[in-house]
Amino acid sequence: MLRRIAARGTAPQREAALETLATDQTMRLARATHELLEARAHRGLLSVPATAKQRTVYDAQNTETLPGLSVRAEGSPPLADIESNEAYDGLGATFDFFAGVYDRNSVDDEGLHLDATVHYGRRYDNAFWNGQQMVFGDGDGDLFNRFTISLDVIAHELTHGVTGDEAGLVYLGQAGALNESISDVFGSLVKQYARGETAEEADWLIGAGLFTANVKGVALRSLKAPGTAYDDPVLGRDPQPAAMSGYVKTSTDNGGVHTNSGIPNHAFYLAAVALGGHAWEKAGRIWYETLRDKRLKRTATFMQFARYTVANATHFFGKAERKAVAGAWAAVGIKAG
Amino acid sequence: MRIEFRMDGGIAAFPGLAKPVSIDCEALPPAETARLRSLVERAGILSRRHRKSAPPTPDARAYTIAVDDGGQCRTLTVTEPIADDALRDLVAELRAHADALRGRR
Repeated sequence: MLRRIAARGTAPQREAALETLATDQTMRLARATHELLEARAHRGLLSVPATAKQRTVYDAQNTETLPGLSVRAEGSPPLADIESNEAYDGLGATFDFFAGVYDRNSVDDEGLHLDATVHYGRRYDNAFWNGQQMVFGDGDGDLFNRFTISLDVIAHELTHGVTGDEAGLVYLGQAGALNESISDVFGSLVKQYARGETAEEADWLIGAGLFTANVKGVALRSLKAPGTAYDDPVLGRDPQPAAMSGYVKTSTDNGGVHTNSGIPNHAFYLAAVALGGHAWEKAGRIWYETLRDKRLKRTATFMQFARYTVANATHFFGKAERKAVAGAWAAVGIKAG
Repeated sequence: MRIEFRMDGGIAAFPGLAKPVSIDCEALPPAETARLRSLVERAGILSRRHRKSAPPTPDARAYTIAVDDGGQCRTLTVTEPIADDALRDLVAELRAHADALRGRR
């Protein structure tokens, strides 16, 4: 915290922070080694002072035991194993995006060590962030390929860690759908940033390449056209609405968190295209600042979130941006400004 | 014994995979019935105490298992990762049955 102020605060804030840092340096030093070792042992975390990536990839060897065998540490060369390399590169691309665009030092903005386990379980059809690390299944090979295949899926999962650290949006109902949407938004932006794409050029898909050739579909979700990503005899049809008129009331999937996220997803897409250029520069920044906005409650509704994005568009940019963001929300049926 | 099994969540909501499947154990070959019965017993579904569930982990899958055994009924929801070996084995077996019923390999 003090380091952050020292690095980014106003001049008087910096001075005060640096002074405080200096006076308790001795005590800190004495505690540091012990604390670091303890933190690592308890949570597998390691804080590093500078914005440097600290990645470790583990191999569960098709068991469900975490984290598994350590196979690749920061700076070590690629392995023969494609999943390990994709996980390593995906963690790196996500870290680089948040550090390079929003000056964020890892998931917790305090240099959290990024861990990922690959080859989790047998024919395991999922990937998730368990609060401490990434977990990737190999997929069943029938419907799903390996879950490390899409950079936006890796970034989606890590963004759940960012949201948990910032707004802490509860994973239920509209707050849960916002939580999901934020992961899709930054998941897509990480991919766009890595490819250097503009809002117009981007595919706005989440999980392209994840389905095998057996599935009739292109991806898990589309921010550009929610509800059109797949239509398959086994998986069913992409259930995402693109506007409030299609809002789904359900008790499954924590109140439809993966379904109704289509609404804020599409609002972001519309705002990004209206603002033009690289989506992470304006639309992404507005969404990121809203995620960090202290006014945003853990139980936020779509309307509350939308209003803060409109306020932050004005605060960080200006009238034209405010108009674009308010217009995007209005187009999905949310009158936020 | 009849088991109703449903999968929820995961990285996306797939309507086709979220549909509950019903497994009538008496209609299965005897060896499979015995296997399912022993897994249900080992997991202690019918005698398991209700515990308050932890807050949901983003993108983790949840399974709802409803067992009806001659009037004795019990419904349980478990979220991945599943720490309990017996429960994990039961879920794996039920998933295999559900996949077969949906025509998946």
